[in-house]
Amino acid sequence: MNQNSFSPKARWDRFEPDKTGFNPDCLNERIEVLAFFKHTKIFPKSFIWNNKEYKIETITYNWQERIGQALINYFSVLSSGQMYQISFNNSTFRWQIDKLMQ
Amino acid sequence: MILHVDMDAFFASIEQAINPRLKDKPLIVGSRGNKMHTVVCAASYAAKALGIYSGMPSREAFARCPNLEFVEADQSKYIWTSEQIFELLKSFNFPLNYASIDEFQMDLGAHENPVSLGNELRKQIYADFNITASVGIAKNWLLAKLASKLNKPDGLALINDENFEAVLRKTSLDELCGMGGKTGQVFIAQGLKTCWDLYLNLPAFFDNNPSKFDENPGKSSELPKSVSHSYTLPKVQINHQVIQAWIRLLAEMVGTRLRQQNLVSATVHLWLNGPEIGNFGAQKTYPNQATNDGFEIYQRASKVMARLAAKNPRIRAIGVTCSSLSLSVYQPLFSEEIRREGLIKALDRINNRFGEGSIYPAITSFTR
Repeated sequence: MNQNSFSPKARWDRFEPDKTGFNPDCLNERIEVLAFFKHTKIFPKSFIWNNKEYKIETITYNWQERIGQALINYFSVLSSGQMYQISFNNSTFRWQIDKLMQ
Repeated sequence: MILHVDMDAFFASIEQAINPRLKDKPLIVGSRGNKMHTVVCAASYAAKALGIYSGMPSREAFARCPNLEFVEADQSKYIWTSEQIFELLKSFNFPLNYASIDEFQMDLGAHENPVSLGNELRKQIYADFNITASVGIAKNWLLAKLASKLNKPDGLALINDENFEAVLRKTSLDELCGMGGKTGQVFIAQGLKTCWDLYLNLPAFFDNNPSKFDENPGKSSELPKSVSHSYTLPKVQINHQVIQAWIRLLAEMVGTRLRQQNLVSATVHLWLNGPEIGNFGAQKTYPNQATNDGFEIYQRASKVMARLAAKNPRIRAIGVTCSSLSLSVYQPLFSEEIRREGLIKALDRINNRFGEGSIYPAITSFTR
């Protein structure tokens, strides 16, 4: 093998979330976030979801994915004993909660 | 000297780093969908200790361990982490190459302290990503890869002239890269059991193994030999429309990758797998009619499928491969061709802007 990086497989089979009902594995709801930007990194500190504030105690992991021209930054965060996955789209400047992690 | 880095239970380790609740638990990473109808992509070391391995049907894995944790695979995490590890290793300024998504090789040349360097690499990977790696160091890539498996997980091993014989004597032949399949069976049938047996009969295999490094790693000027996509369906499928939809989707994915590399293909190969037909594979070449149009590739693949003797066979897996590749130099002359090319370019622009799959052939909606 002789390559510098991999091309992600086409997300032609990207799952379209069911718009009705609560699905903790696929929330995709807009949230408001207080974040610290340092150099090229983002450190979310807290978020407001459904009018409730969640203080982020730990960011356990973060990664990025490019979808078209948009760069999505994903964060797995711990707040009051519950893990959440939130993400930031640098093209639309949208923060959203992706899912509750079991 | 070659240094080989092999990440430990890569996918599973990343998921455990993401969700600390899963740490030290038996965990499998499986494809999307019903967790009882998939296969194990990766297993944590706790799961491996229970006899669960990659490729095992998930149903069997859960039978072995009812409390098994399951996480859906998310390629974006693993690819991103792999690329970041590659960037980290690049900072050490040695020729560097991917061996796979979770394996990397560095050419250390005559570095005076490779063991210390290997330990520093492992430490930095853990500090940055909270996942462990095992390192092997030896005179060539084959032995370095073997060495990386000796002290897994989170270990380092060096194969040198002093321990070369001892290591090969205690390593069975099928553990050597390239000897796990039919090639290994040939040697085993001739009575060779260990890597030392192979060395006694074929010393050149270990001594003269060529380096995998080019002068410009990652920037090969050679054309790829083929471009392909395959998919195992969530369940056996008999609906002809759904099967055609999958072939159309795979053909479009292949066509997209060809266009990204400015390539065209003259040969289309279709592979099908199903209970009645087993593995079916056939191809057709269209000399002087090379294409990178997904629809054209789909039509050619459909003609190949028409050769199937069985009518309406049940299909479990499909693959579309394009080969006989060349650079695209043809300029369309006829108005229909020009219109078609304009349409394809517009579709590519939309997908490049908003993400692959943002606009897609209508028939592929049957795959969702």
